[in-house]
Amino acid sequence: MRTVLRKLGFYVLTAWVAISLNFLIPRIMPGDPAEHLINQFHGKLNPAAIQALRVLFGQPDASLWSQYLSYWHSILTGDFGISYAYYPADVGTVLGQSMFWTLGLITACTVLGFVIGTGLGILAGWRRGSWLDSLIPATTFLSSIPYFWFAIIIVLVFAITLNWFPLSGGYSVDTTIGFSGDFVASVLYYAVLPAATIVITSVGGWLIGMRNMMVTTLSEDYVRLAEAKGLSRRRIMYSYAARNAMLPSLSGFAMSLGFVIGGSIVTEVVFNYPGLGTTLFKAAQAADYPLMSAIFLLITVMVLIANLIADVVYVFLDPRTREG
Amino acid sequence: MAMQPAVLAEADQVEPRAGRLWLRALRSPLTLTGVVITLIFCVLAVIGPWIAPYDPSAVTDAATAPPSFDHWLGTTQNGQDILSQMLYGAQASMFVGLGSAVVTTVLSVLVGVTAGYLGGVSDELLSLLANVFLVLPGLPLTIILAAYLPHSGSLGIILVISLTGWAWGARVLRAQTLSLRKRDFVEAARATGERTSKIILRDILPNQLAVIAASFLGTVTAAILTQASLAFLGLTDVTQWSWGTILYWAQADSALLTGSWWWFGPAGLAIALIGTALSLVNFGIDEFINPRLRQAGIATLKAQRAQVSRKRAGRGKRVRRGVQDRRLRPAGSTDVILDVRHLKVNYGVVTAVDDVSFTLRRGEVLGIAGESGSGKSTLAYAITRLHKPPAEIPQGEIRYTQPDGSTVDVLAMDSDELRSFRWEELSIVFQSAMHALNPVMRIGAQIEDALVAHRPGSTAPERAARVVELLGIVGIPADRANSYPHELSGGMRQRAMIAVGLALDPEIIVMDEPTTALDVVIQRQIIDKIMELKDRLGFSVVFITHDLSLLIEMSDTIAVMYGGRIVELAPAQDFHERPQHPYSRGLLASFPTLSGPKKELTGIPGSPPDLRRLPSGCSFRPRCPVAFDACAERSPSLYQIGSSSAACLRYDEEHAVTIGETA
Repeated sequence: MRTVLRKLGFYVLTAWVAISLNFLIPRIMPGDPAEHLINQFHGKLNPAAIQALRVLFGQPDASLWSQYLSYWHSILTGDFGISYAYYPADVGTVLGQSMFWTLGLITACTVLGFVIGTGLGILAGWRRGSWLDSLIPATTFLSSIPYFWFAIIIVLVFAITLNWFPLSGGYSVDTTIGFSGDFVASVLYYAVLPAATIVITSVGGWLIGMRNMMVTTLSEDYVRLAEAKGLSRRRIMYSYAARNAMLPSLSGFAMSLGFVIGGSIVTEVVFNYPGLGTTLFKAAQAADYPLMSAIFLLITVMVLIANLIADVVYVFLDPRTREG
Repeated sequence: MAMQPAVLAEADQVEPRAGRLWLRALRSPLTLTGVVITLIFCVLAVIGPWIAPYDPSAVTDAATAPPSFDHWLGTTQNGQDILSQMLYGAQASMFVGLGSAVVTTVLSVLVGVTAGYLGGVSDELLSLLANVFLVLPGLPLTIILAAYLPHSGSLGIILVISLTGWAWGARVLRAQTLSLRKRDFVEAARATGERTSKIILRDILPNQLAVIAASFLGTVTAAILTQASLAFLGLTDVTQWSWGTILYWAQADSALLTGSWWWFGPAGLAIALIGTALSLVNFGIDEFINPRLRQAGIATLKAQRAQVSRKRAGRGKRVRRGVQDRRLRPAGSTDVILDVRHLKVNYGVVTAVDDVSFTLRRGEVLGIAGESGSGKSTLAYAITRLHKPPAEIPQGEIRYTQPDGSTVDVLAMDSDELRSFRWEELSIVFQSAMHALNPVMRIGAQIEDALVAHRPGSTAPERAARVVELLGIVGIPADRANSYPHELSGGMRQRAMIAVGLALDPEIIVMDEPTTALDVVIQRQIIDKIMELKDRLGFSVVFITHDLSLLIEMSDTIAVMYGGRIVELAPAQDFHERPQHPYSRGLLASFPTLSGPKKELTGIPGSPPDLRRLPSGCSFRPRCPVAFDACAERSPSLYQIGSSSAACLRYDEEHAVTIGETA
């Protein structure tokens, strides 16, 4: 329990760093991003909106400390300003529309990729030296491919050439959003290609990591003792070798979540998937600073929560971390 | 670990012989491929602009043309030559990749080594910072930074990537530094008042080269990918050619919809190829850092199946031999339970156990003594066929006499027979219970799973009762069944280990230095417990240790091993009073006995033999105080001297005369 609490403290600290970075970056960048931003709206903003943007991106007339305090006030009241790219929608509304798409797609695919990769890694490590080892160069190649490029190839083959799946989007425009069977079916249908991209490109990394951990664990004394005890191969493989080899793999998983989610976001752009990635792309294209920084904060929070869940699972799996 | 002398010796020598090992890593075809591809890309990046056939931005009439003789990789919508774009792009992409890796690695080394070396508060703060940056999602942060620096050139991108990417390497290097700092040679340098900067440069960094190289190469890959992502999203200067920029224009001009695969194909393949090449080089480095992975190549399933090569050779005659086995009774005594004959264990070309024969009787304690590397642990594992490739048994017999009187050859068992033989008839107690108990399983469960495997008919309550009974036998409170190994003290862990060994009432327990890791008081308790249990339960013990005084006290028979052979085999009492082999005398002279008169302790000059380069004739010859000419010519076999036997030419009839004369 104490481990989890300490981790929780660490994540709160990380969130604070992320928010403070978000505060600092526009203020230390060359030029005056706030002024630039406000000019982009060509006078369409009312004074209150301008004030809100100034609080978020820099008030030349106020001290840094008072700016920081009013910035926190805005963050805590959920006021992230007005989106330029989606004008006149405010940032909160835009995020509310896109975040669930990303949560659904990327959470499911990241976990799926990890589970498949780790499972194959257990086998490859257990049967080291068999034909499974020849998978390594292949999976290395797959995991070296840029996510977004693999997405392009998949679209070319399955959407354009074979015409099996839709080219882009998150659901068929013929259906109405809601919990109807049609809509859910269409969401799943549209998610196949983006999901396949993320899963296939991420499996390789987990596979290799888990295989190497398995090989290392297999020469541990406790695995040899399990063998000496005459246990079944299945029992040795899962309860002794894989069960221990998984622990570093799991903490590696937690650590690289930020990286994986970042990569998946670019994939969304290729599919024009209505999630945070595409929104971030549009925001970056339009220099929509309010939207960008809010997305960064949101992704950070998502990654931190995912990390915390991974930590809880870890504590559950490794009794040594449970000590008070 | 003592089990694999050849491999171990190699790992120990990593530091001084690093240079040559690097060359060896290159011999792996995959690593070599990686290095060659990487070099080709580097060369192309440098000379790209000079060998490019066209100006990459020059617009021509040949719009969206597929690959042809004029344009090897085809053209874009504006008729630009894609091969030229790729060559120019190689320069930008590789520059960002290598540049980011250099800056990132410098940052990582600075933070990692400082934190690890200084320790204390600065370590806490720097580690915290690294962890925060590690958890922050890098790409979104990079995107934001890049967006604030519109159309930033390569240098801006390098800066952004390094700022978000240094944490990983710093973390690894910190851990490395921390463990290096505690090593003897660093402690020694500190004690002599060496300047900190000098210690870091001379003692710490050179030992981290492999890790630094790995993190450098990893960053090159990540940076090339990140740059490509940013360029693809249009967040870099889109008029500067890089692989990512090519993909940006391909996407912007709908290359996908026109089916112009040649437009976006090469750039992605190039990124994937350089990424794969760098990963392959990194695998080479991984195997260099982690010798266990290197062994994985040797420890193939095929090799595992071929572990007992003698058995395979005799496969065809198996049935006949089986019949023979059942009839066979060891000569002389009916209470022999284990009869090992001419056993040999090889690690590749190195022979770790050579022509070893001994018998173990019911209820007897056989002590095997020897220095590290003498082959005693290898022998213990070979008896149970737990040896791992590259170890194999080319010759020998291990005959086990079952309680019903029939005899089986352990080396001829198939995997099912072996599985039921293990633990049911023979169990092992390992040297370190800390490492031999599964850290994530409760003690009770680790005892119980042996019961589950061998007593499939038993019910859960029966097994639970047996677990409590076993814990009681070794003196552990029953409620400790629910403890994990790390929750027990060292002595209690070792007793739990013994309880695991007793689970199925085995006939033989092999104990490989079961008390070496414990302090003297606990050691005494454990030994007393083992002897008490032996008398009560009637099992036989093969006890392996380098502690001679302990062996003499508890064993019935003692076997002394040297250079993979048994050099003396004698009843404990005789051995103590009249050691026959010069090596045994040397050993006894270097150990204090628990009882008996005070005497001056002398050691044996020289060091244990290198199994790869054994001297000719008797392997003890170079250290032997009484060696003579014939010892270099002939390897002695065991000679009977009263109730003892010793492998020394002094007892050969031919030489006994000569020695008698000279002495």
